[in-house]
Amino acid sequence: MAKTENGVRIFQGLLILGNVVIGMCGIALTAECIYFVSDPHGLYPLLEATENDDIYAAAWIGIFVGFALLALSILGIVGVIKSNRTLLLVYIILMLITFAFEMASCITAATHRDFLTPNLFLKQMLEKYQKPEAGNNNDKWMSEGVTKTWDKLMLQNQCCGVNGPSDWQEYTSAFRTTYSDADFPWPHNCCVLDSQGHPINLDGCKLGVHGFFKSNGCYAAISGPMNRQAWGVAWFGFAILCWTFFVLLGTMFYWSRIEY
Amino acid sequence: MGDLQQELKDLLAFVFFLGLVPAGLRHVWLLCCVSPFLLGTAVCSQKPQLGDAQLATNNPTLTTVSLEKPFCMFDSSLYPNRSYTIYLYVMKESASAMSSLVTDDSNKPLGSTFQQTSRGQLRPYNAAFFDVPDCAVPPRLADVRSFVHASYVLKQYLFRVGDDGTCLYDPNFLGVCNPPLAPDTTYRFKYVLVDNSEGMVKDQTLWSDPIKTRRAKLPMKIDTCVLVFLLLTGFLASVQSFSDTK
Repeated sequence: MAKTENGVRIFQGLLILGNVVIGMCGIALTAECIYFVSDPHGLYPLLEATENDDIYAAAWIGIFVGFALLALSILGIVGVIKSNRTLLLVYIILMLITFAFEMASCITAATHRDFLTPNLFLKQMLEKYQKPEAGNNNDKWMSEGVTKTWDKLMLQNQCCGVNGPSDWQEYTSAFRTTYSDADFPWPHNCCVLDSQGHPINLDGCKLGVHGFFKSNGCYAAISGPMNRQAWGVAWFGFAILCWTFFVLLGTMFYWSRIEY
Repeated sequence: MGDLQQELKDLLAFVFFLGLVPAGLRHVWLLCCVSPFLLGTAVCSQKPQLGDAQLATNNPTLTTVSLEKPFCMFDSSLYPNRSYTIYLYVMKESASAMSSLVTDDSNKPLGSTFQQTSRGQLRPYNAAFFDVPDCAVPPRLADVRSFVHASYVLKQYLFRVGDDGTCLYDPNFLGVCNPPLAPDTTYRFKYVLVDNSEGMVKDQTLWSDPIKTRRAKLPMKIDTCVLVFLLLTGFLASVQSFSDTK
């Protein structure tokens, strides 16, 4: 009798420990997803303009899943301590639902990250940057977002274009319809600017003299944060799911062995 | 006088290349027509050249071409105490079949403008004129690094064809116009030395090699196919790891 009693106690202890870990991971997931949704790098308008901002949707789901995991872990701990069948049944069902949501979020984040190629941003930049008065309001909103984001990107990261300033020379663009090639081979934000925001040497910038224009591409500055977000949500989520899977199995086994 | 000297130079060059002069002296003779920016290379640059590609990396662009100014090209034709002007003529390569004359019968430079020659399609047009660059003191290209001197150096060293679009929009403008060139078109350029007092052409370079402006592709043609990108990155990653293990 004492032996099984000890065995049960150890099993309960393990389940409680499992739930504590789930609770803490839930808090961590919520915090991580809030960080991503707050868009510290200001790249959301670019995703919005691609009309495929699912990695943000995945982060939003992650926030609520995190809260749910915290609440359910507390419920699980209480249920295990009291060995209450009803509580544990509620716990199992709700945990399965949360599991499904989190799975969806992780898969979305992982697969939609592959959508974010350099060519996607190149095409978007050429078609929307400095686009003159567009058709409908939605179009105008997206173009303004893209323009503001690119201006900020070029200023903060000392870069130009997606692969480099040559993007502006190799392709026609909405920018080119308003600004002539002779005066603006590329936008003035691609020039090295002084403290007032004027190019330090406009002729040097137009001719492509090293030191007066920014020769790096901005793709690294865009894809870096986006990859971190997608991988952060996806892989942390998968890790939590793995752990939760074993705790759920253990809880189901424990539930089946409780006697009325 | 300039033409005769040029012919004499050509004849001597031909004789040298027959091997009647030792190789060292041959190199020295060819230096006479070397631009001061290409010291050491035996290139006879008696025609307009594109600006140094190391310096001006964005050249030619869609609608502009930056040429080196003619340093030391006309030195043999210059007399002291006389003032000269250099005229730059531009024509589309397709025009060379029809007419590539830049002077009239009395050896005066033709004043054809951009509009008159149908953008350089019918015959050469005069895009600009400027003072003869000083051969004795060519601009030091290293000074471009300095922000203070950069503008001065670039203006002294290069001339940008296609720089000024405003003269196209003024209907009353009848003067010399240097408007943007057409994209994806081959052009040729020529410098002509004109004596100011007589108004006569004293010397001229050869027509430059054909220089083509850039062509712009449509952004619609950009392939955003994810599969290709994935395969490419996967392939590159495997090659990288394979070379690392080796």
